[in-house]
Amino acid sequence: MIKLENISFDHCIKCTVCTIYCPVAQATHLFPGPKQSGPDAERLRIKNPELVDASLKYCTNCKRCEIACPSDVKIAEIIQNAKWKYVKVHWFRPRDFFMSRTDLVGGLATIFSGLTNFIINLKIMKVLMHLFLKIPYRRSFPAYQRGTFTRLYKKKLQKSQKGFQKRAVFFHGCFVNYNNHSLGEDLIKVMNALGYGVDIVKEKCCGVPLIANGYIEKAKKNAQYNIESLGKTGDSVIVSTSSSCSFALMHEYPSFLELDNSSYIDRLDYITKFIYDEFTAGNIPPMKPVGIRAAYHSPCHLERMGGVIYTLGVLKMIPGLDLVVLNSECCGIAGTYGFKSENYEISQGVGQNLFRLIEKAEPEFVVTDCETCTMQIEMNTRYKVLHPVTLIAMALEEKNEGKR
Amino acid sequence: MIYDCVIIGGGLAGLTCGIRCAEEGLRTVVISGGMNSLHFSSGSIDLAGFTENGTIVKKPFDYIKSIAAKKKDHPYSRVGIPMIRKSLDFFTERVSDEGITLNRNSDYNHFHVTAIGAVKPTYLSQESVFSSRGKDLIKSGVKIAILNFKGFRDYYPEQTAANLKRHPLFKNSELIMGDISLPYYLHTEKNLHEFRSTDIARIFETERYLPRIADEITRAAGDAEAVSLPAFIGINNYKDIRNKLEAMTGKFIYEIPTLPPSILGLRIDHAVKNSFFKHGGEYIAGEKIESSVINKGIVESIITGSRGTSSEIKAKYYVLASGSFFSGGLQSGVSSISEPVFNLKVKGDSKRNRWYSWNFFDKKSHPFLSYGVETDSNLNPSTQDGKTLKNLFCAGSVLSGYNPVKEGCGGGVAISTGYKCAERIIREIKK
Repeated sequence: MIKLENISFDHCIKCTVCTIYCPVAQATHLFPGPKQSGPDAERLRIKNPELVDASLKYCTNCKRCEIACPSDVKIAEIIQNAKWKYVKVHWFRPRDFFMSRTDLVGGLATIFSGLTNFIINLKIMKVLMHLFLKIPYRRSFPAYQRGTFTRLYKKKLQKSQKGFQKRAVFFHGCFVNYNNHSLGEDLIKVMNALGYGVDIVKEKCCGVPLIANGYIEKAKKNAQYNIESLGKTGDSVIVSTSSSCSFALMHEYPSFLELDNSSYIDRLDYITKFIYDEFTAGNIPPMKPVGIRAAYHSPCHLERMGGVIYTLGVLKMIPGLDLVVLNSECCGIAGTYGFKSENYEISQGVGQNLFRLIEKAEPEFVVTDCETCTMQIEMNTRYKVLHPVTLIAMALEEKNEGKR
Repeated sequence: MIYDCVIIGGGLAGLTCGIRCAEEGLRTVVISGGMNSLHFSSGSIDLAGFTENGTIVKKPFDYIKSIAAKKKDHPYSRVGIPMIRKSLDFFTERVSDEGITLNRNSDYNHFHVTAIGAVKPTYLSQESVFSSRGKDLIKSGVKIAILNFKGFRDYYPEQTAANLKRHPLFKNSELIMGDISLPYYLHTEKNLHEFRSTDIARIFETERYLPRIADEITRAAGDAEAVSLPAFIGINNYKDIRNKLEAMTGKFIYEIPTLPPSILGLRIDHAVKNSFFKHGGEYIAGEKIESSVINKGIVESIITGSRGTSSEIKAKYYVLASGSFFSGGLQSGVSSISEPVFNLKVKGDSKRNRWYSWNFFDKKSHPFLSYGVETDSNLNPSTQDGKTLKNLFCAGSVLSGYNPVKEGCGGGVAISTGYKCAERIIREIKK
């Protein structure tokens, strides 16, 4: 049966604008593009599920099609749904299993982080992974940190957070928890400067990699866990430093996983939107000039949320930041997509435009909101990538030290 | 954090206004939901194509002068001829800086061929559509080869030929038809019929394919001096590609817009956006403006609202360039027409059966096409209770008082009203 709320494909007027802006269709002819794979084919699939073709697997779910669509068709959602509802794509499952279990892998890896980082970067290991796990040899991996951010918070940071009356819950996500503790510390520094004490509640992976790899039931379980946990946080605000986690918590839970997130939705913001609102309300902490030239790359999922305006708004408030805003291009990694051998060429192909723009801008740093964009850009250009929150923290630094 | 100017709508009107504001150093943001209608347009800018009774306009400015006397509420009457001229020059220059040349037939309209082969008057066209060389060739009655990419479903040369043969402009020309096949990427599982204009444009943009494409054109066109192709000879560096193909084939190459996506329109879109970025404008895609806060005749803020928490965006001046019904700038209820963001005073009939004509191709056109926001001569709209909003300006097809289809003036109205909004804002801010 057709679910009445899911007939946005009927609004498609076949203008094909989405296909013009599809980064994958630009990089390969193997993907017929979002219009054909989404609204066009959906009609056929509803009639007869056999009319599904395997090219759906090329979609990275970057959602640029939905941004381009003048008729508000949920194109990427239609494709994601179809991918897992109709197609039993026989990918290499052990790899996908581990790749999507960021909590499991991250939890293990951080115990022996030094050893893990050493091993996964060994040439022989890379060859083995290439051969047996179909993880591309040339792909570099994010380093794991010692221990989790949650532990660091409990041991060191929690105490200092007690003095604040206004409270914010930080949904740190897997990247901060296992790979980038300093972003978490920067977040706390910035929130404190804005007058908020930061709490952490129990959370599981938001589900983005699970959805991307077809583990929908597991994603639902995680989502339910997070909804329950975040729902119990009273009236404190909730912030996340990951654009994709935020997108999942806000949009994917209700619309794709069909779960009710109303218990927290009004309190949740992607971090730059939260800061933007605070800044606009006049709550601007003193900042010193950073004296940095940076190029800003807008991640696909942040664009889809309509969040770029806030990141730019906040960045432009940082004194002494010479900001080059790069034309909007997909970096190509799309979460776990670019970590798979069968997608590696396409992933790199998609990113070429962005890498060229970055090189042309000649910045000192690249700034972006997304963790996998960060990995992709650091691997393919010579620049270090910073999160907007880190930049604000850098601007705050001296002032705080001066006080002490 | 207050913008000087927030523009709602990223189409021709909004972006023209945006470029002008940004180059004056105003902090400008364009907020757009979904891509603009340039993607489905011919890529030519119409200024005034048809008179009230449907005859073709030869000199658009003469016609505009005549309506200025009759229709005070026509957007052209609000802008005035000197500024319309200025806005078109401005637009042509900015687009030309981004590598797209727009030609005009001095003060006269020229003709362009549409996707189904109709011949229509327009004012500004890209080189591949109108140039003095092309004009001379057609006048002299050369043999024209109307070609297509084999298997391409968004264009039919037979239809073009049949329509052209009936037009006096081509009565001396011999028309032939033909197909070219293009070298496409290896290992593609794609059926020829699945290629859209953008896919083919990317093949043209692959430099090493050009000699083979030129051979194909020469073969299919035979001794024809002029060749028409569906518009897909490259998006970003089409000029260069066209020059090379002309040199390789020795033939004049003309472009005919296809069904969407229209590459001719896409080029203008890219040029306008690039110009806007270059002048420091911010462009936000995929954001929806849900409502606004108005206090004592002043717009205080606009409210964005994707699901989740909403946010206020504040600016000194606002421009509403949100388009007509298709883009959601205007909404129709069962028996009412409304403007959703500011709930502005709108001109339109409350009787639904008067909105349209029963005949789709009615010569008198459909009344709803001229519905829209009412403004004063400064392009300031007013609220339902008649209060003028001093810091809000309206541009483009959200405006009432003209019929873009019947009059053939959509592009000109968008550019000139967008430009006028910018000029008003610049003047107010520099005061």
